[in-house]
Amino acid sequence: MPRISEMPDTLFDGVSQAYVPPEKLRISDRLKLHREWEQNIDPVTYEVIRHNLWNINEEHGATIQRISGSPIAMYALDLNPSLLTEDAEFIYFGPYMQYMSGVTDTQVKWILENRSENPGIQEGDMFLANDPWVGAAHQMDVMLICPVFHEGELFCWVTNCLHQYDIGGITPGSFCPAARDAFDEGILIPPVKIVENDVVRKDIEDLYLRSSRKPEMVALDFRAQLAGNISARERVLALIQRYGPRTVKGVMKQIINHAEKAFLNKMSKLPDGVWQERTYIEACRPGDRRTHRVILTVEKKGSTLSFYNEGSAPQDGAMNATYSGWRGSVMVAINELLCWDQYFAIGGALRHIKFDPSPGTFNCANFPASVSTAPVQAMEISLYPAYNAISKMIFPDPQMRKDIFCIGGTSQWPATIFRGIDQWGERYGYLLIDPIGGAIGAFSHADGINTGGQARTPICQLPNIEHTEQSFPLLFLYRKEIPDSGGAGKYRGGLSAESCFIPHNTELITQDTLSSGNALPTSPGMMGGYPSTTNQYQFLKKSNVLERMHAQNMPEDIGELEGKSVTLQLRQENFTQLPEDVYAVRWSGGGGFGDPMDRDPAEVQADLENFLISPNAANELYGVVLTADGEVDTALTEAKRSEVRRNRVNGGQPGHRSGKIILEAAEYLNVKQDENGSFWTCAKCDADLGDLKDNFKDHCQLEEKEISRSNPLIGDPIDFIDDQVVYRQFYCPGCGTLIENEVAIASDPILRDILLRM
Amino acid sequence: MTSYLCGIDIGGTFTDCVVVDQAGTVITAKAPSTPGNFTNGMMAALTAAAEKLELSPEKLAQSITHLAHGTTVGTNAVVQKKGAKVGLITTRGHNDVIHIMRGSRGLSGRDVQKVVHFAESSKPDPIVPKRLIQGVSERVDCFGKIVVELNEEEVRQSIKRLVDQGVEAIAICFLWSFLQPLHERRVQQMVESMAPDLFVTCSSELIPKWGEYERTTAVALNAYIGPETTAYLRKVEEQLSQLGYSSPVQITQCAGGTIAIERAVKAPLLTLDSGPVSGVMGAKYIGEAMGYSNIITTDMGGTSFDVGVVFKGEPAFSFHSLVNQYEYFLPKVDIQAIGSGGGSKVWIDEVTGTLRVGPESAGAVPGPVCYQRGGRVATVTDADVVLGYLSPDHFASGTMQLDKAAAEAAIGEIADRLGMDLYECAAGIVKIADFQMADLIRKVTIQKGFDPRDFVLFAFGGAGPVHAGVFARELGVQKIIIPQRDTASVWCAFGSAAADILHISDQVDIMSSPFDPARLNAVIGNLKTQALEQLIEEGVQAEHQQFRFTFDMRHKGQIHEVEVEIDGDQIEAAQLEPLRTRFVVNYEQLYGKGASLPGAQLEIVAVRCRATAQTPKPHIPAAEVLTEKIPESAVRRPREVHWPDLGPKNDTPIYDGHQLVPGNQISGPAVLELEMTTVVLHPGQHLTVDAWGNFEIEL
Repeated sequence: MPRISEMPDTLFDGVSQAYVPPEKLRISDRLKLHREWEQNIDPVTYEVIRHNLWNINEEHGATIQRISGSPIAMYALDLNPSLLTEDAEFIYFGPYMQYMSGVTDTQVKWILENRSENPGIQEGDMFLANDPWVGAAHQMDVMLICPVFHEGELFCWVTNCLHQYDIGGITPGSFCPAARDAFDEGILIPPVKIVENDVVRKDIEDLYLRSSRKPEMVALDFRAQLAGNISARERVLALIQRYGPRTVKGVMKQIINHAEKAFLNKMSKLPDGVWQERTYIEACRPGDRRTHRVILTVEKKGSTLSFYNEGSAPQDGAMNATYSGWRGSVMVAINELLCWDQYFAIGGALRHIKFDPSPGTFNCANFPASVSTAPVQAMEISLYPAYNAISKMIFPDPQMRKDIFCIGGTSQWPATIFRGIDQWGERYGYLLIDPIGGAIGAFSHADGINTGGQARTPICQLPNIEHTEQSFPLLFLYRKEIPDSGGAGKYRGGLSAESCFIPHNTELITQDTLSSGNALPTSPGMMGGYPSTTNQYQFLKKSNVLERMHAQNMPEDIGELEGKSVTLQLRQENFTQLPEDVYAVRWSGGGGFGDPMDRDPAEVQADLENFLISPNAANELYGVVLTADGEVDTALTEAKRSEVRRNRVNGGQPGHRSGKIILEAAEYLNVKQDENGSFWTCAKCDADLGDLKDNFKDHCQLEEKEISRSNPLIGDPIDFIDDQVVYRQFYCPGCGTLIENEVAIASDPILRDILLRM
Repeated sequence: MTSYLCGIDIGGTFTDCVVVDQAGTVITAKAPSTPGNFTNGMMAALTAAAEKLELSPEKLAQSITHLAHGTTVGTNAVVQKKGAKVGLITTRGHNDVIHIMRGSRGLSGRDVQKVVHFAESSKPDPIVPKRLIQGVSERVDCFGKIVVELNEEEVRQSIKRLVDQGVEAIAICFLWSFLQPLHERRVQQMVESMAPDLFVTCSSELIPKWGEYERTTAVALNAYIGPETTAYLRKVEEQLSQLGYSSPVQITQCAGGTIAIERAVKAPLLTLDSGPVSGVMGAKYIGEAMGYSNIITTDMGGTSFDVGVVFKGEPAFSFHSLVNQYEYFLPKVDIQAIGSGGGSKVWIDEVTGTLRVGPESAGAVPGPVCYQRGGRVATVTDADVVLGYLSPDHFASGTMQLDKAAAEAAIGEIADRLGMDLYECAAGIVKIADFQMADLIRKVTIQKGFDPRDFVLFAFGGAGPVHAGVFARELGVQKIIIPQRDTASVWCAFGSAAADILHISDQVDIMSSPFDPARLNAVIGNLKTQALEQLIEEGVQAEHQQFRFTFDMRHKGQIHEVEVEIDGDQIEAAQLEPLRTRFVVNYEQLYGKGASLPGAQLEIVAVRCRATAQTPKPHIPAAEVLTEKIPESAVRRPREVHWPDLGPKNDTPIYDGHQLVPGNQISGPAVLELEMTTVVLHPGQHLTVDAWGNFEIEL
């Protein structure tokens, strides 16, 4: 499928095709932009105003949380405020739900292009919007966008986005896993003027609320969004009053220029090349047993980064995202890996980033594809590979290397969507929020963070079990971290957890599943690190749990119980859970970094003592032999690890080619140069791994294993998909070090994950 | 016989003692703190006070009717991570509660840049490692109903395993124990009988609140600091009793009152952070005397910057606390740590070439460059020295010589790199720091519904009065008050002495509107009975007892709770509608106009009882004569100060603040030097010494 850049005749206007802003915006003459600013601002004034602008945006987010008070705003922090220049460049973007970044500037640009003439953009206006083809992750993410004027000229924009409880569609809560297309989903609102001359237009508000099953909640959230924008607008105006418009605007532009400079500085330290990651989605609709390929490519040429999704599966079923959803996903990884030091001032970096996906793919879907599940599926799966790809790109610089981390937990969200009559006799519907506990993948220099949250929502709150049990008729048997759930590695990935519950004080619960990443792991490790566990649903019908409870013998794991085990499919609808039916949900953990055989045996021992890994994993994956007292047997461990490495080499005959190291390309990969050109070598033993133009993997010893050998918790993929899955390991033919791993559908070729152009 | 009130507060450097007689006359004394054996310093301070009264320590001790003591033993154990080895017994299947935490790695309160930079955002070391956490079979549900009976055999084995592993304290927390404490109490009894020497604590007794993560953390922390705090308090009690003090020793708690020592040894957690709270209580008390009911307190030291709020005469409260990234329940006077004080490091963002201040701090060691303790990075304090705000010779009463040349070199290097003049750069650094503080104070006040324009600002701490002149002006408060009367640290002891006995108890009972008054009254009655028993045990006379009841209320389906007080100790059906009105008023005060949902169903989440016993109050006499003439002895030699608006001014008047008398007035620019701090009075600002001896700066 062609890329956007290869479709010059197609109109990307946000109607049938996603809106892709042109280089130069077409803005009506009716709208005057404030375009004059101070170039020379003294460093003190700059810093004072910069701090103030950051705080304005933070206070904006806090105001929304205060007024909304909804669990979505307060726990999941599924919101984000932004501050943009008059021409829609990001000045600041908040630290909450990172997805929302990619959808904010496109919305504002669309408004500038499509609303500046009719109905016009004036002082005291605000626009409501949620159309994913204009710019929204999915229909529930409703934006309120407010222009800020100074003396008749558009000075800047303050905007916010907040996930709504319910915005219509065939499933309560508006996540519609069985939607055929967008017409089965929540209301679509291209930007519409809902506040005019500082007055809320009642007609538009009524129209907005009419489709919701929870109009009173949506109305209150709208008030929160309104108050957030007003507070931010007032404070920007107060700054202008005090320092003058030219100075304030000058600082805004400088923040972006500084962030741009920081980004360019980083780019200047990295080689040109192409980095690629591949993963898969399982089941796009009920009954689907296929896998759907996901490819994320980042290309660096000089100071420009280009992102592509070419090779990703076509749009299908209810698994899709739009252009802005995909772009927002990739921007999360850019923000966290490349822009964290500039407080998310991503506008500067964006001047040098091209997003060039192929329309018609599942993560750049055309209208009217179903997109309501995007944030928990298509966007997660677009985002997480970006961590690995960008991490590999920045590895060569020793400073940036410290910022690397592997794909984290909940890289696909195993949703548990349930409904019924609660213990108070009222109707309810909900999605279990526990997987937000996530895990953070391993760093290049340290272990990942166990249940460290989801990287895409750096600050979020996991509800207490007592909170969930108060609101819903559930009794949790356990919520626990799972040993071995983090990927093995020189640095171990963070552990994920599992929640297990039965219905309580209700007759039954009606359940839907919505998941992917149950057959094959979606948090693979990096540079020799192993994958984390897959997602897992376990469902035990007619169990003996109630007898166990009566006997004062509570289970600590669903495996201790007897009953009829049912394999739940990934989009199973309307199944019933009775009080004796036990349901356990495990989410994926963080990927590991580096060859586990390189892990310090003392760390392996500590992991055992802290129940982070199993004795079996210590032996099989880490090659550590313990004495009867549980101490590391140094000699036996050394011997075992040598044997493992010897077996990996398996008689391989590495060449050696002398030359000068010109780049540390990955944990175990150097690039050397001699008079015949550049070539890959093993960073540990110096074995020759082929010319730089080759895929180094072709010069490694390849071993193909069953995917269940990559992590002790991974089962047989046949339960969910028909494709054959393979775990490929690429060893150095000289020393047997595990240089890289690959999780792949067997028919897919070996991936070229690093291609350097130097 | 004359009887006395006494407050003793242990600080990092000094132990302060305040003694007040029946007439309200205040005597203060201090002695160096004695870490390792704090009781020595405490007895020395008491002896010093006795000397001032020309009494023997025994005679003074026998004449004290009420002795309140603030301790930092627990706080130190947490900060230095030197608490006890704790075992935790919890509901089977839920062992990992304090390891999983609540999703954001306990990041509230940390700089957001660290939050998003995952490499810097790891979780804290757990208070209890997994191998010391034992799950036992038992279960209570959300109605407080026992669903699974306690398996005592498992409990026995668990206790044995923990004892075998050498734990020094055992914490107990079961799910929903705040509704049904039977199982926790039973386990506590079993620990007491199987291991009588261990410190044991259970969550339903300590803090019966809804939310297992914060409750478990609270009870684990209580166990963590339990053995050491208990040993210390027992020693205090013993030594005071040997001197002849016979009433119950009262211990300052973080909720802003005192508790009897018997309660403190069971719930040492209540003493955590009680020191800074006493400062807020002292401000509240003196504010009352001066007629201020809305006060923002700022305590800016070398390494910390804490902000508290007194609104309508009551300190702002929080029920959720944070230490070392652990979040836990604790009713306490809300003090927000918002910055790193005078030690904030100055740096240049190398890539963008911009000037930045903080949030990293040089701490106490190595500290600012001018401290000559090995610090090499310029700090705000160094800029203060360069500008001449701080005198190299009179800092901390001259006990510490500052190296001005080193400060100039450090700031000068930054100035050179930015192409700025030395003084311009130093003034810029101070301005950035001052404006940041204004932004941050604004954040912790406005976001809680307080408008700084309705407040006066009290500036405490070594660095506070140096900077308050600018940050308070930026904030828009009415005036600055720098409390005097010896040093700010004595205010903490004063706060202790002025504090009432206070017991806060909660009962969670979640109910939706329309509310059932009978059910509410049953809860209120229960809380009152318990509180009454506590006060009687402490020997509080009926006429001094006071009970206040509040509800934690919220919109059903939403998160925010607000506290709503009821009249008296009963609620009638007719009061339910006024209750809703009060809820709406309080809610919108906190969360903004229009934030409340008209007509929505409400929930009461908890009922709270505040049982207080008023103690005699120190009387603060105002000077009868106000003297305009500044005493000769107050005038020091003028020196050069670089004022951002005026440039270098060679003859800036310098005063010895301790020599000024009520009625004195000074116009800026001027600098007032005091034992522990320096007041910087900017051009155009006007300072008055009020009738109580405090410095007031009009803005």
